[in-house]
Amino acid sequence: MKSLLKILPLSSIISLAAGVIAFFIPLLVLPDTIAPDLQIACGLFLIAAIYYIAQPVPIYATSLLVMFGAVLTLTTEAPFQPGIDTVQQFEYTDDDVIVLPDGMVYNDAVFTVENGIASKVSVTVLSDVNGKVTVQLPEGREVSTLASDAEYAQRRSTALMAKDIFATMASPIIILFLGGFMLARGAVKYNLDTNLTRILLKPFGEKPSMIMMGLMAITALLSAFMSNTATTAMMMTMIIPIISKVDPKDKFKVGAALSIPVAANIGGMATPIGTPPNAIVIAGLNQRGIDIAFSDWMMLATPVVLILLVVSWVILRFMFKADIKQIKLSVDSIFDTSIKAIGLYLIFGLTVILWITENQHGISSSMVAFFPVTFLSLTTILDKEDIRSLPWEVLWLVAGGIALGLVINQTGLAKFLISLIDWNLFTALLLIFSMAFLALMMSNFLSNTVTAALLVPIGISIGLNTDIAGYNFIIGAIAIGLASSCAMLLPISTPPNAIAISTNLLDTRDMTKFGIVIGIVAIIVLTLASQIYWPLFF
Amino acid sequence: MNTELIILVVEDEPEVLDAIVRDIELFEPTFRIEATQSAEEARELLDEIKEQDNRVALILCDHVLTGESGVDFMTELPDSAPTKGIRKILITGQAGHDDTIKAINKAGLHHYTAKPWKPEELQKVVRDELTQFIINQHLNPLPVMGVLNAGELSDFLRTSSQLTDL
Repeated sequence: MKSLLKILPLSSIISLAAGVIAFFIPLLVLPDTIAPDLQIACGLFLIAAIYYIAQPVPIYATSLLVMFGAVLTLTTEAPFQPGIDTVQQFEYTDDDVIVLPDGMVYNDAVFTVENGIASKVSVTVLSDVNGKVTVQLPEGREVSTLASDAEYAQRRSTALMAKDIFATMASPIIILFLGGFMLARGAVKYNLDTNLTRILLKPFGEKPSMIMMGLMAITALLSAFMSNTATTAMMMTMIIPIISKVDPKDKFKVGAALSIPVAANIGGMATPIGTPPNAIVIAGLNQRGIDIAFSDWMMLATPVVLILLVVSWVILRFMFKADIKQIKLSVDSIFDTSIKAIGLYLIFGLTVILWITENQHGISSSMVAFFPVTFLSLTTILDKEDIRSLPWEVLWLVAGGIALGLVINQTGLAKFLISLIDWNLFTALLLIFSMAFLALMMSNFLSNTVTAALLVPIGISIGLNTDIAGYNFIIGAIAIGLASSCAMLLPISTPPNAIAISTNLLDTRDMTKFGIVIGIVAIIVLTLASQIYWPLFF
Repeated sequence: MNTELIILVVEDEPEVLDAIVRDIELFEPTFRIEATQSAEEARELLDEIKEQDNRVALILCDHVLTGESGVDFMTELPDSAPTKGIRKILITGQAGHDDTIKAINKAGLHHYTAKPWKPEELQKVVRDELTQFIINQHLNPLPVMGVLNAGELSDFLRTSSQLTDL
């Protein structure tokens, strides 16, 4: 026990145990009327939520656990899948006409069960009175064993297969991210990010407010295509020499250091590959047959990004007034002109152009993403060391989020959870506002991706299973996803915030003051966009 | 649970030991400073540090110690816990030519500081060496960024996948 405590702190042991207990609670507590697959899904959701929130294990590991649990218990070939209760005695009124309790008939079909596998038999419903349904079997069809819960049997007969769960790890959105990761890796390897920053920063001049605007614009632009974290780290290396020329008491120091993570968080919303929560939204909508093209996402998100950037710039200037009047920047860019570096510039440029013109040529963004994946490898612009150093765990984290969405939709858990709340109290406006607010609050304390993974499937299901006038689940999902990126209250809210605080250029109080203001602004902007701007598209 | 990173100072003259510790005090509490007066005492401390799963990031060692030379002591420090990847600074007023060669070739010395030193110079050396330690050992740079070279550590964050969007 003592040696165990050495490896694991007590709080981790408690949350690990709580997760395991929570997994079994629905199985023990929920009544038999709730189908067993739904009970298992509920358990999986609880253990995932506890591990994602308390983080006794890394969050990508929790994602893997979700997939593992689903494969083991909920797929058609799962070794521990729940059984199907059956009935063998029926009341015949004719050779091929039987009377069944209405739970045994679902959508004009009954389900025979053999070796635990349900298969559908379409029937003709002759009458449906007092909970008794009289059905006529197809000609010559005899049935011996029927599932007692037809809706559940229907779900089991069309359950996810293990390969569907595994496929989340290589789903189109994951390939899209892989393309983004490869490009970002190349950009860092050949210093494209630092050189671009230097060249783009020049036109902004020497006035502190303009320099801050430049820093924010460039950070946002880069973080739309690279990870917010890597962009922030890169920009910090840029601003440290700039700030060192400023009087330590000058508030400009704080404003500039804070402007970087803020712009990185906001910029990440701009494209599908900007930040993982976007992937959760796109994948969730994709499961409902809605495809959002790269350029469509940019159209939807860019106005929000621009407004938030401008507002942030104004607030930062106001909150942290610069005393210094002029800062001379000595930023000379030295672009790498080796053949491989030029190859990277071309592949980077071409990929971005193909992404933003998706609507013109119709080649999907994940297919385009496969171009840099292939050609950066083919040309050895990125070697195997580079490939090994990609943040694969981020892909697993997102895949687990997608799998969780699949599971709670397929088992009807989302529908069940939604049925627990009286949605008549909500208008579309109030619903979007509250969900965006919840996402913002959660992501201030949790990973942005986890927040999106827990809330987006629910936001989508509310749209599909309730009739709140004017609530479009596509808009709801986008609002939740983007709100997950607006967490800027604390150092723990996002890795970019953590980096900024770690440099000691600003303290947490400065960050929190600003984070409260921008959080409120973000919720207002998102709510307005959901009412005025996004409805133009859907 | 959290591994503590330690700066070990070995110097037999108490006044000099105090001076070193005072000059590098700004690295506390991010790094714990341990002051010892002999190689023997340092060795006992290393056992204790190993026991507690902590790590020594940096050693500042005088050359002339009672009993054995600082160079000999640093030569025998293993590249395994708790001194894996340790950065070594020799502080000395009177190391001969041979000792210096030995210090560099055998002890894998990273820096040679002559007595008397200027506090800012010693701080810079310590800051540079600790920054290298964090980068070489792939440790999380965030907790130490404030007292070390933030720019260099940011660049490490940029080029490594230490920290990612999650």
